[in-house]
Amino acid sequence: MKALLIFSFLIVSVLGLNSCTTVIDAKLDTGPTELSVDGTITDQPGSQTIRLTQTAAYFDNSQPSAATSATVTVSDNMGKTYSFSDPDNDGYYVWQPTAKDTLGRIGRTYQLNITYQGETYKASSKMNKVPPIDSIIFVKRKLNPLSKNEGYRAEFYAIDIPNEVDNYRVKFFRNGEFQNKPRNIITTQDGGFGGSNNGVTDGLVFIAPIRRSINPDSLYVPNDVVRVELGSLPAEALTFWQQLRTQITNGGLFATPPTNVPTNILNTNPNGRKATGFFIASAIRTRTAAVTDANIRVRPD
Amino acid sequence: MGNSKGQTANSLERSPAKTVHAGYTVSGYIKDAANGEGLIGVSVYVKETGTGAVTNSYGFFAVTVPPGTYNLVISYVGYARQTKTVDLTERNVRLDLELSQEGKQLQEVVVSTSREDDNVKNIEMSVNKIDVKTLKRIPALLGEVDVIRSIQLLPGVSTVGEGATGFNVRGGSIDQNLVLLDEAPIYNSSHLFGFFSVFNPDAVKDVKLIKGGIPSNYGGRISSILDVRLKEGNAKKAELNGGIGLIFSRLSYERPLFKGKGSFIVAARRSYADVLAQPFLNKDLKGAKFYFYDLTAKGNYRINDKNTVFLSGYLGRDVFGSDFGFNWGNATISARWNHVFSDRLFLNTTAYYSNYDYSLNTDLKQKSPDDFFRTDSRIVNYSVKPDFSLFLGKNTITFGGQAIIHDFQPGTATAASSGAVRSFGVANKHALESALYIGNEQQFTPKLQLQYGLRYSLFNYRGPGEAYTFQTDVPFGTRREVVTTVAYRGSDVIKTYGNWEPRFSAKYDLSPNSSLKLSYNRLAQYIHLISNTTASTPLDVWTTSTNNIKPQIADQIAGGYFKNFGRSNGTGSEFEASVEVYYKWLQNQIDYIDGASLILNKYLEGDLLSGKGRAYGAEFFVKRNTGVVNGWVSYTLAKTERQVDGINNSNWYPTRFDKRHVLTTVLLFDPPNAKRWNFSATFTYASGTPGTFPTGRFEYDGHVTPIYEARNNYRIPAYHRLDLAATLQGRKRAGKRKDDNWVFSVYNVYARKNAFSVYFQPNTDNPRVTEAIRYSVFATLIPSVTYNFKF
Repeated sequence: MKALLIFSFLIVSVLGLNSCTTVIDAKLDTGPTELSVDGTITDQPGSQTIRLTQTAAYFDNSQPSAATSATVTVSDNMGKTYSFSDPDNDGYYVWQPTAKDTLGRIGRTYQLNITYQGETYKASSKMNKVPPIDSIIFVKRKLNPLSKNEGYRAEFYAIDIPNEVDNYRVKFFRNGEFQNKPRNIITTQDGGFGGSNNGVTDGLVFIAPIRRSINPDSLYVPNDVVRVELGSLPAEALTFWQQLRTQITNGGLFATPPTNVPTNILNTNPNGRKATGFFIASAIRTRTAAVTDANIRVRPD
Repeated sequence: MGNSKGQTANSLERSPAKTVHAGYTVSGYIKDAANGEGLIGVSVYVKETGTGAVTNSYGFFAVTVPPGTYNLVISYVGYARQTKTVDLTERNVRLDLELSQEGKQLQEVVVSTSREDDNVKNIEMSVNKIDVKTLKRIPALLGEVDVIRSIQLLPGVSTVGEGATGFNVRGGSIDQNLVLLDEAPIYNSSHLFGFFSVFNPDAVKDVKLIKGGIPSNYGGRISSILDVRLKEGNAKKAELNGGIGLIFSRLSYERPLFKGKGSFIVAARRSYADVLAQPFLNKDLKGAKFYFYDLTAKGNYRINDKNTVFLSGYLGRDVFGSDFGFNWGNATISARWNHVFSDRLFLNTTAYYSNYDYSLNTDLKQKSPDDFFRTDSRIVNYSVKPDFSLFLGKNTITFGGQAIIHDFQPGTATAASSGAVRSFGVANKHALESALYIGNEQQFTPKLQLQYGLRYSLFNYRGPGEAYTFQTDVPFGTRREVVTTVAYRGSDVIKTYGNWEPRFSAKYDLSPNSSLKLSYNRLAQYIHLISNTTASTPLDVWTTSTNNIKPQIADQIAGGYFKNFGRSNGTGSEFEASVEVYYKWLQNQIDYIDGASLILNKYLEGDLLSGKGRAYGAEFFVKRNTGVVNGWVSYTLAKTERQVDGINNSNWYPTRFDKRHVLTTVLLFDPPNAKRWNFSATFTYASGTPGTFPTGRFEYDGHVTPIYEARNNYRIPAYHRLDLAATLQGRKRAGKRKDDNWVFSVYNVYARKNAFSVYFQPNTDNPRVTEAIRYSVFATLIPSVTYNFKF
């Protein structure tokens, strides 16, 4: 919705008014340092990583300090426990599979346990189902109606799982490079915008704005290789990602009140130090396609 | 309605023998001799008794005096004063009069109040009026004369920022202002978000803003009443007015009807950037639409001395789109009937229809019938409102009522994905809002005047529809899931609210040119704008009160000292000044959970929070009415806060439009030896509005994410701006009726990059580097030129 308003606001510029943004100096207070958890575990083969860091002053532009010497385990509701360790002392806590073992299983609920600086933190997350990506196609397009530059707009097709509320995150990679700008944080409920329209797009092909969300700022060029990952999310993780995107792109006339993104990392001692971040269990399906004749379609829209 | 003017000690000297007779009444309409427009607020003063009255919104007055012969002085700022002798020894007298404008009207600009020393002598407080002549001289953004932007120059009125829709009065939010166009409410008073307002200055006659001491005949919003009255149309001769500006071109036509027994005006405006741009658009943008227009019309017919009817209409729309389309607009129709029952009883009955709607379509050209999204939303009101005024000498009693049918269609949508079409949305909401009121304006003692009244408002939230109940045991500030859904039929009442709304004002004359005033009012509001963005958007929906949303209530006390000074030129004092203080308590203020979903959400009520507000401040106002340099200076010191469980750790926090200091200056300069030129300047200074700034950060999947400790804990830089305008009158040619002028204006003269907001974001190229970004809506000076003509 906000995009539509921004579009309309562009009209103001057409009328000869000009708004402007300027980077300014601001003096900010700094709150207490907290533990921050960046942890998504998947059903994919291979190792799984949970990153622990410390929060910092807002203008501290260095790499975040690692939270080291923590004890990190993940256990599932079938009684299995997986131990994560930080051999490099860099805050990246890794579980290494033995043989062909994988950690995540669809349908199981995972609990994260962290002991850090005398405090114990817990979080839990359920690994939900995810549908496959059926196809990725490309259509020749101008970058925008005013532009002369042409390229290929990618579109992926997937069908939402019917008769239940499903939440997903979409990630995409151009020639192996993860596209991770704030506007590339794509989440969807039932393949639609979700949030309040409970069940409207249930069981449908993902709606066009989501299908076409896998494009970088410039369009793709012939022979680009595009990989799309579709990951399931529990409902609270959908909210987390939506609010994270809102908070890091929040400005202009129609900004919403700045607010903390939610966290599911809870200190077992309610009076103990708080933590931020999120622990997410996500099942992932991927598909890769190249901008080649076989994948290029000709369509009016 | 009518206000009886201050009586003096003379009234005590009446002969005791004659007091057995209640007296006789002189009443009638007072109009402008040039065009037959009814004049609002004309003073009718009885020399012998020192009593008097002012004309009401329709130009009607009535004065009751003991039998005798009297001299009436009829005066109105900018018009030649008239004295009439009336014989009231044996019967009531009807007196209809026309006043002529004084010759040198351009030099004698009316700044605001219209009656002589009105600010001191009228019991009204916290009221500001802007004369259209003044409005047209205030330097305007892109030369477009604008009612809403101009009232922001008055004390106690502010805005969230440049370009934001609406205005905030004494700490109230924008939906708490009742914006009336000939008594019909306007739900969105802006074109192009907040840049231009919907009122066509060529059709507006009078603008009055009531911020406190709101009389009992008004209700339904809790912060202010913006009462905009349209011209009736020239009843003497046909007139064509027009103008060409950078944004709009305007044209209006007015003329007498039925041999002067009636008249009408039709006024239209349209933006034309799209027309000019069309030849330059490439194939893909051909047919792109971006324009806004409005059409205002009014007609009146005087059936006889006792009956006059009026019909007013407004239609406005903003349209944007090429492949994607988005449009919104208001439409209102109001019909009014003025009936004079007797010399003492006046009735106005208004019936209106008001509509606000928007629609949005992602596939305007139907290029992709398999994938589209369409939605629309609509608010419709129907209302009848009889208002009686009974003139009884020392008492003027007003009474009446209102019934409003609210028919809200918050939104239905149709979406298609790969050919599968689904419809969804929010069920319509229906309500009946009704009110009865009575008020009296009484000369209690020669120095003390009182106005007191009571309004009872009743709100029925009705079927057909669905009502929901929500969880109650969730932590503060989180979504409450729906628990039960109950379907109601058309005849069912889902929830009823009733509120007694007492109103009281007092004025005590300290001297002939100074007075003290005090007021208290309670107001209730049953409809609410759901908006969680800094500036409201046209997509914001209104909702009625429901079983889950309680009516908003405000209590306000205000006190003021009013004084006029300087030499008098016969139509009022040179200077008028006032100091007012107020304190306001607000209940059931709507707020939102983090991540609230407001559009097309059936269960919206589960995402709403309810809190309380308080606002207090002092307003200082000095105005020079006459002279080569006239105008006003206004300074407001204010604070406005909210407390909502679940926001800011449930502590009080400043609202987004809280400004500690606001200074505005409006200067109008009429050089005595430059016959064709006049100049004007405005300067505004306002403290920075609050902003929520981060106190920490964490990284998640490569994204630096802010951490906040409190809401609105910092201030953005202060706002200040100077605007200038110059008007050049065209040369008068002998025998030609044509009258024209050029208006040159510069907005934001010293090109200050005023902050609308300061926000915090990662740098686009280096996401680990975070930045504070100042967002300015206008970053440069904006010159403009407008040509106006009149035939």
